Amino acid sequence: MAWIDLKDILQHTVSSVYGDLVTRPTGQAVRTSIEALLPAADEDLAIIDFSTVRLMDFSCADEIVGKLLLRYGRARYFLLVGVHPGHEDAIEPVLERHRLAVVAQDRSGSLKLLGAMPEHARQAFTVLADSGPALLADVAAKLALSPDTAREALEVLRERHVVRESGGHYQAVRSA
Amino acid sequence: MTRVVEVPVQFDDRAFDQFARSYSAGDGARVLFDAHAAQWASPYGLVGLLTAGQALAEQGAERPLLTLPQDRDVVHYWARAGFVRQADAYFELHGKAPKLTPRGESDVLLELTPVRGADDVHEVVNHIQERAAAILTHELKLEAAATMGFGMALSEACQNIVEHAGTGGWVAVQTYTWRKRLGRRVVVIAISDAGVGFRRSLEATQAKRFGDRWGDAAALEAALIQGVSRFRDPGRGQGLAGIRRYLNRWQGKLSVRSGAARMTMIPPWDDDVPLADQLPFFPGTQVLMIVPAHSE
Repeated sequence: MAWIDLKDILQHTVSSVYGDLVTRPTGQAVRTSIEALLPAADEDLAIIDFSTVRLMDFSCADEIVGKLLLRYGRARYFLLVGVHPGHEDAIEPVLERHRLAVVAQDRSGSLKLLGAMPEHARQAFTVLADSGPALLADVAAKLALSPDTAREALEVLRERHVVRESGGHYQAVRSA
Repeated sequence: MTRVVEVPVQFDDRAFDQFARSYSAGDGARVLFDAHAAQWASPYGLVGLLTAGQALAEQGAERPLLTLPQDRDVVHYWARAGFVRQADAYFELHGKAPKLTPRGESDVLLELTPVRGADDVHEVVNHIQERAAAILTHELKLEAAATMGFGMALSEACQNIVEHAGTGGWVAVQTYTWRKRLGRRVVVIAISDAGVGFRRSLEATQAKRFGDRWGDAAALEAALIQGVSRFRDPGRGQGLAGIRRYLNRWQGKLSVRSGAARMTMIPPWDDDVPLADQLPFFPGTQVLMIVPAHSE
């Protein structure tokens, strides 16, 4: 697992004066630094910490979240922490535009799926986020879906790396 | 020979076309911008006036003259808004420019500030964010969420200059009470540049698609409505869309004037037109954002 603090990166790569993630060059510089800190193994989780970021604009959201997920999101697991509604206002349109999704976890440990996701898959994610790891049959039962529909929903989540599957158990991406 | 360009007595966005008409009727003569009778100028008027001076300088025209307002209070406001200091670089100033001491509390949230690069955008956002937060939440009674969006909108609009204008521009932010027009307090962001404008910025990638319709209005439509950017990167073109969403959420107004056209996202409290074409030409792009106080 790699814990990546955006404020640290901003101060090391761009400026120790400014605390805001604004402008595209800033986003590009921060993303490049994040890429260098990604865990060696694809299976390891990269946690990106927004908690000390006051403001992020759309350009930075596109460079830092959008492009990172476009490049690595089908192979790696990402979790965003410390995301407040203002950050979400910048991140959500970027994810919608690129048809991407990512998991955000708040301080209490609650998970939220940000971005674009088919409805059944979103519902399945909510089940896993609220109830913990579950078998396909459990998810299907809780959502009153056919096994095929539930499988399809869980596979979408797995392919987008917002859910892990191990031995038939599906689990939402979260910090340990 | 000197050609006189009258600065409107009430110089705001509604008087801007009158100013642009007078400005664009140029014949190569030296220009005298006559503001001696000015009684009031909004941030939009002031950034526009600076843009006119900047455009003439970049065209290699003779340094224009500018007569400052005669009214003491008016010229003090122009100085307090940072106009006089910036104008000195582009105009030969006539009239008495006041010497001002810095004021802690002021309606001027961000005095007229040049925007030439990404560092300027950082500086603008960093400078304004805390005061803007206080004013948006305490004076305009908006939810805390309005504060972040304000910084985002400001950042994206300033970046538009850096990435598309091909030259520098200006930003100013002010809060005041619109007694006649709205009866509420507002925060106004005005941004202007003397650059290539939307039509020329998008021409290489969009003109063919629009065919005979291509022009300033079509370019604004492509950028504001369709989210098109001159860059092929699919992540580009989200800034203006984000500004629209933000202003729509808080019942704000967005107006973008470029070349000879102006497109406006009209809130319920305003009676502007969505699209005005065949306007008097004015260089570059002018952006106006207005965030009103929460309506009880």
